[in-house]
Amino acid sequence: MPPKSTPAQTSAPASTNALQTLWQAYNDQTSNRLKFIDSFLIFLMLSGIVQFLYCVLVTTYPYNAFLAGFSSTVGQFVLTASLRSQVNPENKNEFKEVSPERAFADFALGSIVLHFFVFNFLG
Amino acid sequence: MLSLFVLFFLSLSGLLYAKSSDGNTVLVIVEEAQKDEFSVFFDDLKAEGYSLSFRSPKADKPALVEYDVPSFSHVVILAPESKHFAKDITPQSLVELVSGGTNLLIALSAKQTPLSSLAAEFSLVLPPAGTPLLSFFPERTDPPSLIPISPPSTSNILSSDLAPVWFSGIPFALGSNPLLFPILPAPPESFAGDVNSGADALVDAAEKNGEGLWAGSQVSVVAGFQAAGGARVTWIGGVDMLKDSLFQKPVSKNVKSGNAKLTRDITAWTFQENLVLRIDRTEHHLVNSTESLESYTTNDNIVFTAYISHFNPKSGDWKPYSGIQDMQLEFTMLDPHLRIPLPFVPNTPGKYSTTFRAPDRHGVFKFVVNYKRKGWTHLHSSTTVAVVPPRHDGYPRFLSAAWPFYIGAISTSVGFFLFSAAWLAGESRDGKKAKGTKAQ
Repeated sequence: MPPKSTPAQTSAPASTNALQTLWQAYNDQTSNRLKFIDSFLIFLMLSGIVQFLYCVLVTTYPYNAFLAGFSSTVGQFVLTASLRSQVNPENKNEFKEVSPERAFADFALGSIVLHFFVFNFLG
Repeated sequence: MLSLFVLFFLSLSGLLYAKSSDGNTVLVIVEEAQKDEFSVFFDDLKAEGYSLSFRSPKADKPALVEYDVPSFSHVVILAPESKHFAKDITPQSLVELVSGGTNLLIALSAKQTPLSSLAAEFSLVLPPAGTPLLSFFPERTDPPSLIPISPPSTSNILSSDLAPVWFSGIPFALGSNPLLFPILPAPPESFAGDVNSGADALVDAAEKNGEGLWAGSQVSVVAGFQAAGGARVTWIGGVDMLKDSLFQKPVSKNVKSGNAKLTRDITAWTFQENLVLRIDRTEHHLVNSTESLESYTTNDNIVFTAYISHFNPKSGDWKPYSGIQDMQLEFTMLDPHLRIPLPFVPNTPGKYSTTFRAPDRHGVFKFVVNYKRKGWTHLHSSTTVAVVPPRHDGYPRFLSAAWPFYIGAISTSVGFFLFSAAWLAGESRDGKKAKGTKAQ
């Protein structure tokens, strides 16, 4: 009896099970608000990856444009991720001082400053 | 009557006309008693249009420098035996004179004098005192210290058709100073040694593997030195070379010695008649423009032009000169970023021009022409310009290649805007819901 085949057979469904469980747990336990933030994060990540690949594979020539575009996605990702951690109800003990409204105001202000620099650097 | 006037004006122009590019006043420092031995040499100089003043080595007048201004354009020192000179003739003062632009012609002898220590300042290495140049070839009735030397055929200072010259004096080895170069090398079979001991110097030196032997054509009997300031200094190993007796002594049957002509060639070089160049002016501008700019942009195409003149001793004026083949232009910021040939422009005498692209580097650059060749006047010119990066409207912006980046940045901003709007909308709805749930 080949010992390897059994774990291989069992591990594949186990991993799919794990992913499915994770996905279900995420769907069930995450509020819509956080899901909305997550979808924005995924959009930023994809946008950044596309720009990076374009820069590496096609051209670096307007390097300042690459830096501006790429750093805008990275910066926006960081700001959004911090917004997510601050408004997550599970982190309430960590951010006692910061109300969700205050967190959003910080996020908005930081983003506006970021976009100001990005558009200055883009051309 | 008319011919008299013409004669008068001709003689006047002869007086005014400077053979040398540097003035025609010459001070000769020579012992009063020996003055007559150089009469042919002096008469030749006078015939060339120089005005000669004489001074004994120990006399105070005429002064070399008056009120800090050199009194003479050229100084000839024919006093190799004098142990003592007047206070203002010291190695230091002569070096200062050369830095100030005065040309020097110095003749030495086998005797050790203050001039021997001056020779060291010009990186000439003299043999020990009392060892003149000796040669037993070719066989002749003259003493071994009186040597006929055939001048080199390729020299830009000496005439090409010189007869052999009589020489009696010391040779010198040339140090590593790049400003120093040989004019007349010693014959290959000659060496410096004691007159009485014959070839003993060779035997002694052979035991020491040739150390301390001044011999062969690597040592010189006449050497030239072109100072950084433009003054010229010529060293002659033996003062006898300039004397009437050797001027007239035939070198073989019916062949006059080349001494007189060689002396003329040497004085012509030393007194800045020959091989004198100058840069009249330099220009720089963009291609397709004539206006000289104070600053250029990186990658600009720049034209640099230099105009060079050559002194013509026959007419005493400067003529445009296109004969330089190997001049270079450097575009320098600390280091030369570019070093390119600066060729002459055909059909435009004296014009040297080149076009190049400025490096992709901004900073303070210099156009440098630095032409130093042995025997020729050193040419040096340096013009400072700024090289700046393109102005904000000096290069294309919003390129099509960058659209992915523009879209990325814009979509992030739009995404942020929509996200914020949705977030605020959701908050108010959540708030209503929360209120609603509370109410329920």
